[in-house]
Amino acid sequence: MPAVVERELWVENRLGLHARPVAKITALAQSFEAEVTLEKDGEVADARDLLAILALDCPQGTRLVLKATGPQAREAAMTIASLFARKFGET
Amino acid sequence: MTQNRILQGIPASPGIVVGRAQVFTEAAQISTRHLYTAKDVAEEQEWFREVVEQIEAELTRLKNEISEDLKEHAHILDLHLLILRDRMLYNETLRLIQEENLNAERALHQAYLKVKELFQRIGDKHIRGRIADVETVYRRLMGRLTGKDSSKPFSFKEPAIIVARDLSPAETTQMSNVQVLGFITERGGKTSHTAIIAHSLEIPAVVGLDHATLEIETGDLIILDGITGVVILDPDDSLRRIYQARRADFEIFKSEVVLGSAMAAVTNDGLPTRVMANIEMPEEVALVFKYGADGVGLYRTEFLYLRQRHLPTEEELFQDYKQVVEALAPRVVTIRTLDIGGDKFLSHLEYAPEMNPALGLRAIRFCLKEQKIFRTQLKAILRASAFGQVRIMFPLISSPREMQEGRELLESVKKELKKDKIPFDAELPVGAMIEVPAAVTLADLLTQYADFFSIGTNDLIQYALAIDRVNQQVADMYQPLHPAVLRMVREVVQAGRQAGISVAMCGEMAGDPLYIPVLLGLGVEEFSMNAMAIPVAKRVIRMTSLERAKEFAQKALLLHTVEEVNDYVTREMDRLFPDIFRFGRPLANKLAK
Repeated sequence: MPAVVERELWVENRLGLHARPVAKITALAQSFEAEVTLEKDGEVADARDLLAILALDCPQGTRLVLKATGPQAREAAMTIASLFARKFGET
Repeated sequence: MTQNRILQGIPASPGIVVGRAQVFTEAAQISTRHLYTAKDVAEEQEWFREVVEQIEAELTRLKNEISEDLKEHAHILDLHLLILRDRMLYNETLRLIQEENLNAERALHQAYLKVKELFQRIGDKHIRGRIADVETVYRRLMGRLTGKDSSKPFSFKEPAIIVARDLSPAETTQMSNVQVLGFITERGGKTSHTAIIAHSLEIPAVVGLDHATLEIETGDLIILDGITGVVILDPDDSLRRIYQARRADFEIFKSEVVLGSAMAAVTNDGLPTRVMANIEMPEEVALVFKYGADGVGLYRTEFLYLRQRHLPTEEELFQDYKQVVEALAPRVVTIRTLDIGGDKFLSHLEYAPEMNPALGLRAIRFCLKEQKIFRTQLKAILRASAFGQVRIMFPLISSPREMQEGRELLESVKKELKKDKIPFDAELPVGAMIEVPAAVTLADLLTQYADFFSIGTNDLIQYALAIDRVNQQVADMYQPLHPAVLRMVREVVQAGRQAGISVAMCGEMAGDPLYIPVLLGLGVEEFSMNAMAIPVAKRVIRMTSLERAKEFAQKALLLHTVEEVNDYVTREMDRLFPDIFRFGRPLANKLAK
């Protein structure tokens, strides 16, 4: 059983997870050797999957749980978490 | 084909053009084939991958070649590139070919339907709307797979009017290289992508024209009138001449209006007025400059409270307000405090839904009850006032008591700020929104408690005439020129004038060029409206004399019924300002929500 890295994320930018922030998330997720998922109220989306994340429907204030496994799980989790913390470069 | 056939659509971008049609039709029907051998499957997957690669290359090239004036739309192409390789579309199609032995078209179609179904459940309408981008990519792929390519680059040589079911961003961006005279689409409304693109290219567009791609054929000569939404097929010579002349008139009118938007709005007998913008978000400051507003007459502040699931902090509010106030200084920014009801409010406040929210706990009533929320907002507004010219106004005032209480709270927040040595404008004017009939009747008393009035016509008309304009059964009884409304406006203006405080008007009535001369005649000297309506409003004001407007208003006030007033005003406006009537209203309302 590989170790799972778990993190709590909050959508803090004003417009929520619309196309542009999600594009950034998928790009990052694809750049690591890790399986990353985002989970909202029990619904799970692959972090490499743009449409699946959009479909999670995350306006500002949404809480998500990130789970990462694989050789670069920690790095992937940290980088994506910091993207959320910087509000994807938005307001 | 019969001559002079008239079709009616929705006007989406003003302007008139006569030209030849270029029709773009949909991709063909989707066929289903079953794949029997592993070799078939492998070939089908290979074919699909190849098509995706082709389209990927095309979109990438398109993105790099995109012309300067459409650069801002480049991110849409980036999004399409991502969707193209998205797992739910790309991987799923490959999987369906492999596991279900489906041909590529059918597999893609099934994958697309699944995405579509998922998106229908999304609550946020902006995100839900992204399905349009998925559809564009889907159509592009499907066109290539079926061989009936609906998305090959536009290749016509002659300038043409584009006719299509709908236009995607990728399609419209390709058009910058060819000369497009105008757009006609079957789908879409005033705020559709086609409308927005047509505006930025300043070409006419008619949308929502049913069966346009069936009625019109490539090569047909058509007249496109983006002002009225009329499309005329195969017009005869005399009709063409009429429209050529109309086109010339419109172009002259438009250039004059645009030229005049930066100039002050002074009546032709010398009365200076203020034409202000209604805004909702800091991003709209750019529009305030673009359309020549003298300031902001109504800054709606609900957005931050509705958008997020937690209450906005003082700092978040302050940053928003400061951004607007600072950018616009020394112009006035009129901030309306929270105009929201307990029921519509966030889930962390426990208010039951109301039977009659328009008459319920909302606006100033709500704020005086939820003082903590109100104080936070007042504090943010006061802090922002140190960076420019701020006015504050309370919505839904119905008694002097509410003004008193609001002002007392404001004073106590000022004390706190003073104690903490945080700067603010100590002289910040405090106004009352006049939108409840009770406030009209008490206007003379309210002048003792308010530094200015702003008449909110949307609510005032609704309350005065007891009309809910969302209710289809009675919506046509919602009449801004109702004699009762005109008399109320007169009463408020007179009360303000006697006390020496200014009276502004915000709400849709203030931005409609048809009503402006009457309102001027009633004594309104400050108008606040959707920014895009400003250039036309300024032009109307400059063409009107105060003397004339007063006579106009006096006569209107003598009439007994709203029908008589409507007839009178329409007739007079048509006589005095034929251009405004023909072109000004469509131009002022363009893109208005």
